[in-house]
Amino acid sequence: MLKRPTLVMLRRFATSPPDTKIERESQSALPLRMWRAKWLYLALLIPVAMLLVFEWLPAFSALYNSLYIWNGGKVHFYVGLEHYERMLSDRTFRVAITNLLGFVFFRVIMQTVLPFFAAEMIINLRSARWSYWWKIIFVFPMVVPTILNYLIWRFIYNPQVGLLNEGLKLIGLEQYAQAWLGDPNTVMWALAFVRFPWLPTLQFLIILGGLQTIPQEVHESAAIDGAGFWRRLFYIDIPMTKRQITLAMILTMLFMTQRFDLFLVMTDGGPGYSSMVPALQLYQSAFHFLEFGYASAIGVVLFVAMLALTVVNLRVSAGATTG
Amino acid sequence: MASLNRKRIRLGNHDLPFQLVLLAFGIVTFFPLVLVIITSFKSNTQFYHNFWLPELPLHFGNYSSALRIIWRYIVNSVLYSGSTICLIAMIASVAGYVFARFIFPFKTALFLGFITLIMVPGVLTLAPRFVLVRDLGLVNTPGALISVWVSGGLVLSTWLMRSYFESLPQELFDAAYVDGAAEWQVFIYVSVPLARPMIATVAMTTLISTWNDLIWPLVTITDKDKMPLAMGLMQFSSDFETDWGTLFAGYVISSIPLLCVFAVAMRQFISGLTSGSIKA
Repeated sequence: MLKRPTLVMLRRFATSPPDTKIERESQSALPLRMWRAKWLYLALLIPVAMLLVFEWLPAFSALYNSLYIWNGGKVHFYVGLEHYERMLSDRTFRVAITNLLGFVFFRVIMQTVLPFFAAEMIINLRSARWSYWWKIIFVFPMVVPTILNYLIWRFIYNPQVGLLNEGLKLIGLEQYAQAWLGDPNTVMWALAFVRFPWLPTLQFLIILGGLQTIPQEVHESAAIDGAGFWRRLFYIDIPMTKRQITLAMILTMLFMTQRFDLFLVMTDGGPGYSSMVPALQLYQSAFHFLEFGYASAIGVVLFVAMLALTVVNLRVSAGATTG
Repeated sequence: MASLNRKRIRLGNHDLPFQLVLLAFGIVTFFPLVLVIITSFKSNTQFYHNFWLPELPLHFGNYSSALRIIWRYIVNSVLYSGSTICLIAMIASVAGYVFARFIFPFKTALFLGFITLIMVPGVLTLAPRFVLVRDLGLVNTPGALISVWVSGGLVLSTWLMRSYFESLPQELFDAAYVDGAAEWQVFIYVSVPLARPMIATVAMTTLISTWNDLIWPLVTITDKDKMPLAMGLMQFSSDFETDWGTLFAGYVISSIPLLCVFAVAMRQFISGLTSGSIKA
């Protein structure tokens, strides 16, 4: 059994609501307060240490080493902003940026519009049971490992025995059969359609959650006013799920900018470097050519771009909601 | 799923058009998977001879020869992801609890040290982190994967746990204090059981992200016996490049572990994510 003073002392640490005890507590000297919180610091020791070593240290190392020529080992000397200058004239990097912009643009539209329409149809079903089952069905592909999707799509695009070419043969369009991933003209389009029309689980569930929270009264009064499907879509459902749609778009952009396993598995940037993206170039610079400095510089540029993207996005969507 | 049971004002009188569109959508989505399953029972001759349709006899041998290779990758992945999930659940609930329930000097600064990392993308840290892990002598050990996965997962998990603990009413804790519970008892017997839904969410997101991580194992693991599933599948697909039946049997097998998890936890996962808890 605890004694009364211990109880009071315990309550003193509790956050809510701010009472006079906490006021008095915060007036005592800093070292004393820190000493009293020693067990709390001890409890946070493991996570803080792990984040410092495995997150903060590499992040600052990337910033620092982007100014150096570095092979990951002993070769290490200062070159200033040379890596960044090199990026400006690097043809591979320019192709990579162009590819990424097109790819992100296409995927953001695809991965927002498809889940939105699927979710809209699902919540409009009269039968609650079907609506539940459709949800399960469209979330189900999540169990397939991501990498497996890419391997299956590699099979779909396979020039000899691929599903796509066989399908074209089946409907008599044999002349269009080709090596989809081997041709610089088709490779980016082929990659953009990978997983089509699978719904991205997270984005789908976010948008679905948004549509489900629209109050029923709003739809009722719209129906009374005679609003049809499209009117309701553009004047109620889209504006009222704006926040979820924005979140889904930002998530897609951030995923697509930094994930390059798709490109690595399907084409490894080829043919030539026609399907290169910056993140893959970073990977190749570091692990194929041992240019850890240049890789770090690409990483810094991507980081700044993603940060700016998120900030602008949040600004725009905040402005759109209030204005 | 209370939200499903209330009556909605619907468009049109029939579900049929919507059902048909959804059906078409579903068919296109699942068709490649079905073809993979069909092909996994074929020999190569059957595959080249008859691309689309299933054909007798079924070659179950494909599955046994694929399983012989794939099981090791699956076991590895279960071990790596499992230990990552346990560590994250423990560390993040303690850290989340401390951040949620106490006031202490530098609390805000420490917490900012956690959440600003959300903005730091994995590509920025990839190369220097590899050098770090190499210098620590962790390359080609499970430690390379688990240490980085745990620290990466802690960022979001701690945040989620903190906001969950903050949402619990103060009276619950007061009751425990009045009954004479020590702080660690309150944590273990009151807070953790209450936080079970959030711990499940954290476990689920950690599972999905570690199970599917390809790049980090690719740079740190070289030994075939130590590869996790995602990387093992790459290896497997190049080892069996033209043996389509076995290849696809391996693909089917590798989807089974998450399928089991899905069967058990999906209801909770979907309702957790769609209940409006995610607000941008």
